Amino acid sequence: MATHKISFTVNGIRETAEVPSNMTLLTLLRERLAITGTKRGCDTGECGACTVLMNAEPVNSCLVLAVEIDGADIVTVEGLAQDGQLDPLQEAIIQHTGVQCGFCTPGILIAARALLDRNSKPSRREIKDALRGNLCRCTGYTRIIDAIQEAAEVGG
Amino acid sequence: MDAVSKSHVFPSPIGESVTRVDALEKVTGEAKFTDDLQFGAGLLYGRVVRSPHPHAIIKRVDVSRALALPGVRAAVTGEDSDDHIGLYLKDRYIFCRDRVRFVGDPVAGVIAVSESIADEACRLVEVEYEVLEPVLDPLQGVQERAPLLHPDLGEYVVADFIDPKPGTNIANHFKVRKGDVEAAWSKCDVIVECDFRVPHVQHVPLETHVAVARVDQTGKIILWSSSQSPFAQRNLIAEALNMSQSDIRVIAPYVGGGFGSKAGVSVEGTAVVMARKVPGHPVKMRLTREEEFYCAFVRQGLIARTKVGAKADGEILAMKTEYYWDAGAYTEYGVNITRASGYSSTGPYRIPNVHADSYCVYTNHPVGGPMRGFGMPEIHWGIEQIMDMVADELGMDKVAFRLKNCLRGGDKNVTGMTMHPIGLAECIEKASKAINWGEKALASAPHKRRGKGLAIMWKAPAMPPNAGSSAWVRFNEDATVSLGIGGQEIGQGSFTVATQMAAATLGVPLDWIQISAPVDTKYSPYEWQTVASRLTWSMGNAIVQAAQDARRQILDIVAAYWDEDPNDLDVKDGQVISFKSENTLPLKDMVVYGLPLPDDQGWHGGPIIGHGNFMPTYITSLDNETGQGQRAVVHYTTGCQAVDLEVDTENGQIHLLRVASAFDVGKAINPDQVRAQMEGGVVQGASTAILESLQLKDGVPQNPSFRDYRIATSVDIPDEIIPIIVEVPQDDGPWGARGVGEHPMVPTAPAIANAVAAALGVRILEMPLTPEKVFLAIQEKLGEA
Amino acid sequence: MNLPHPGLPSFDYIRAQTLEQVVSLLLKHPTDVRLFMGGTDIFVQMRDGLLEPKTLVDVKHLPGMTTIEFAPDVGLRLGAATSMNAVAQHQAVVENYPLLAEAANTVASYQLRNRATVGGNLCNASPAADTAPAILVLEASLIAFGPSGERSIPAEKFFLGPGESAFNQGELLTRIDIPLLPKGCHGRYLKLGRNAGGDLALVGVAVLGYPDETVDSGYRFRVALASIAPTPIRALKAEEILAGKSITDETLQQASDAAMDAAEPIDDVRASARYRKAMVRALTRRALSEVWAMLLEEN
Repeated sequence: MATHKISFTVNGIRETAEVPSNMTLLTLLRERLAITGTKRGCDTGECGACTVLMNAEPVNSCLVLAVEIDGADIVTVEGLAQDGQLDPLQEAIIQHTGVQCGFCTPGILIAARALLDRNSKPSRREIKDALRGNLCRCTGYTRIIDAIQEAAEVGG
Repeated sequence: MDAVSKSHVFPSPIGESVTRVDALEKVTGEAKFTDDLQFGAGLLYGRVVRSPHPHAIIKRVDVSRALALPGVRAAVTGEDSDDHIGLYLKDRYIFCRDRVRFVGDPVAGVIAVSESIADEACRLVEVEYEVLEPVLDPLQGVQERAPLLHPDLGEYVVADFIDPKPGTNIANHFKVRKGDVEAAWSKCDVIVECDFRVPHVQHVPLETHVAVARVDQTGKIILWSSSQSPFAQRNLIAEALNMSQSDIRVIAPYVGGGFGSKAGVSVEGTAVVMARKVPGHPVKMRLTREEEFYCAFVRQGLIARTKVGAKADGEILAMKTEYYWDAGAYTEYGVNITRASGYSSTGPYRIPNVHADSYCVYTNHPVGGPMRGFGMPEIHWGIEQIMDMVADELGMDKVAFRLKNCLRGGDKNVTGMTMHPIGLAECIEKASKAINWGEKALASAPHKRRGKGLAIMWKAPAMPPNAGSSAWVRFNEDATVSLGIGGQEIGQGSFTVATQMAAATLGVPLDWIQISAPVDTKYSPYEWQTVASRLTWSMGNAIVQAAQDARRQILDIVAAYWDEDPNDLDVKDGQVISFKSENTLPLKDMVVYGLPLPDDQGWHGGPIIGHGNFMPTYITSLDNETGQGQRAVVHYTTGCQAVDLEVDTENGQIHLLRVASAFDVGKAINPDQVRAQMEGGVVQGASTAILESLQLKDGVPQNPSFRDYRIATSVDIPDEIIPIIVEVPQDDGPWGARGVGEHPMVPTAPAIANAVAAALGVRILEMPLTPEKVFLAIQEKLGEA
Repeated sequence: MNLPHPGLPSFDYIRAQTLEQVVSLLLKHPTDVRLFMGGTDIFVQMRDGLLEPKTLVDVKHLPGMTTIEFAPDVGLRLGAATSMNAVAQHQAVVENYPLLAEAANTVASYQLRNRATVGGNLCNASPAADTAPAILVLEASLIAFGPSGERSIPAEKFFLGPGESAFNQGELLTRIDIPLLPKGCHGRYLKLGRNAGGDLALVGVAVLGYPDETVDSGYRFRVALASIAPTPIRALKAEEILAGKSITDETLQQASDAAMDAAEPIDDVRASARYRKAMVRALTRRALSEVWAMLLEEN
């Protein structure tokens, strides 16, 4: 199988790698780079646990080939906090008790970050719509939506 | 603990909605789940060959072609583990030896240097089957001529409170014979008979099952697994492999959702058996999402034949129930679900005459196991609908009917146990009020129908009578505390309430306490399992005892140091203080190094370590014939959910407007977390009610993926969820607390069904209430009109 | 039982440099080479073992593949590899073809739509494809490039069967051309899923309506249906009814009945044929009512 040399950034840090054609971005992150915040939930783009930012847009990393990220900037949940300061979304989701088992949380934070970056004052309806690709089995979503609303209000 | 229930002053932070202690880790991606752990270059991967047939004899397994594939290190078959495994009934082999009993049953395993090579190699394993006629329905399974799925049932090791019927497919038959139902029918003014059906549903944790096992050169095992039950896994695997528990070590990181699917042993045994073939190498076994649907525990299916009779004034006189559980290929866990359901079969009602039979029936379906509620969601689906039907026949308001018949403290319940004080009536009143019960509400459009419904529930922890908890408390030099527990954090917030309880008892600030996680059977104190909503109560008692033990040691040492009476001392905010002399001493001055004796005589004290345990002592057995006994269970958590919804008659879609969820938790140690459990339970319950069923055709799952097994997303939730905490203290719970983790998903489905019936005048007896099913039911009713 | 692979099977990835290169690869290796753009369908099928290409050719970086151009006298030209989000959020689409944006926005999730492409959705040729009814009522043309150069395939001729499109050997989709719409056009895409959003379409209905003096009713409607036949279809009988007599509640009902009659759905794990047929009528009725209301408001 062919391999490919790629260079890219993850959370602002420049990386290079040589990857086989069939390696997904998710596997590259978790198993090659040991950046394990992003989770594997289904490998078919249905659950959203693998959501990362690719060039500032949220994608299911289980459906992106590693070779395709050559030249791209990737942001994972580990890249949300800056200089020890949590992202307002992270603060809000803690305060609203919007975390239970925590497995969906990284994907949700990334999807929410992307939402606020493109729409700084989303309605509740828009928040729900933006999250419909992130499954959560524990929380019932309400507190997560509340948290995103609050983060939007404080200008996050 | 007597004083606790009378006390209205709770020490901080009991009753406070403190921030979850694991939240920061989880929002930064720092929290480690089992697949996040790094194992280095020696890591191998295991994949499993699974039966494509629901029922077959294994004639031949040939792994030679698999072994020949480059990158393959070893292969295993049923020959490699010859003892049965199981929790309440040992009826299962880790790898099948002679027979397969469900689609997905493990037949062989291959260990290789990569997951894809292991997977490819599995496809090269040749298995020859002789296909047998399957049992696909419990009603078929109980017939005399039905294929016998476990001919050796009589030889299986079984817990003494389970009653299998060898020579049949009945793995457990639980009976209740109370009073005289036959005589009672004639005294009833209203009798309703109805059959209800519940399909298999799945837990669908976001994190699929994963286990990594490493066996060293001496045969000792380390198992890392996403597990609710590290000690039970150690125990069951030790028994199955004929090993000492001390030679198996289970390490359990955070769990990405369990809901019961990660209790007991499911896939972990396969990882261990494979790892034994490659000593020195960790072997990782993880389920794909599809395998999770095929092979992990499912919730049992149920056919419930129910008959209830009442007097004109609304008093329920008699109830007769027959449960036929579609329990699946192995019932090692399911037998107790069927028992618990039998002794809960009346629901939380006072009924003097009860006749119940709960049959746990083997079928060639996926393995039924514990799912949030442990039989309660399945049985309340029918119970709460038939109660509505009886109320309808009586022309009685459904809330009034329940208030008239619901159990209250002091009542004798179905097993003859006297109920402890419970707040069920208060839950009913508050939940119904929250949705303006009795007020007719208008639909939002001509093609919509609006309806309100409610359902009540009860559940006791279903566990062996001697399930125990233990805890230890240890100080560091700076007086921060390590809290050792064996209970798992699966999202329910156990680590947080454990921290709160330790802090309150010790008298130290909350953030001085750290849980010694991950739970590790080598270092952590024993905990039976993280199931049954038992940790806050059982593990909580152990924690309180451990903290009191430590506190007593501290006070004794400092009292001696001050030449005072320990009863005049207390610990507050990390300081020992004397009420009498007003002396103070920071804990950090003595929790490790002790204190000097007067006159340079030496030292007194030393490293403070406290321990505690808790095991209920008062559970009695139940009579085999009558199901009666003095104390069947430790306690009940009760509650009520009330639903206000609309149905779109053009397409059958249900829109949940408001769901009020009221539960009596005794004492909410962390009210916000309790509310969060109620919200999550409502959504999971609603999801199973409206969207979910594992569709099986000839024993083969037809929708084993997220594409076709839909679960509730952010756009499917009720407009408003109203969580209501009721507190009627539990006499032997820490500060009066009892559990609530499972309960909020129990009444949701019947509450929705009852609201739909109110909206449409149509009652649907089989879950789920899909839009199609609702639409076609409306059409049928219109057709009849 | 079909257990998917735990990851993607082996293959070689090639990033296409020119159209000619792609055509040549397709002709030389008709069964071993597969093109992909977003990958959201293809990767899933490969993991499921339904597709086993030896080579995957990434064509989304070819010139023009992600371009969206609107010319007020010509219409819209969508590169085949424009993502669903890019299409749905493009000003020219929102202003001139809101039906297409609406259809794209019903697909899956925001993050999936960043990778899934309109072109890929159409080439996959699932009868349930959400953008297909829109493409049919917009009377788009799918522009293929192949051994004989460029070829324009009208949307109504594009879908041949489940998973089967009208491409010849060696052809790939480069563009979707959507003509200008008649003045006063309004449209809706309604979709029924099992849950409230993000599902595959159990039934999908696209309706376009505009004033037309040349027909008896004064209005022309175009109605297309997804997920109820081997291909997405136009409900021509329904369209006839709506052109032939004045638009009343009864006309809308008759047209909806005709749409239902045009549907030949199957029973599958998602829904029964009976329910699907009834829902064709219900959704068509709803879509027609809403478009009619918009037309009335305009005039």
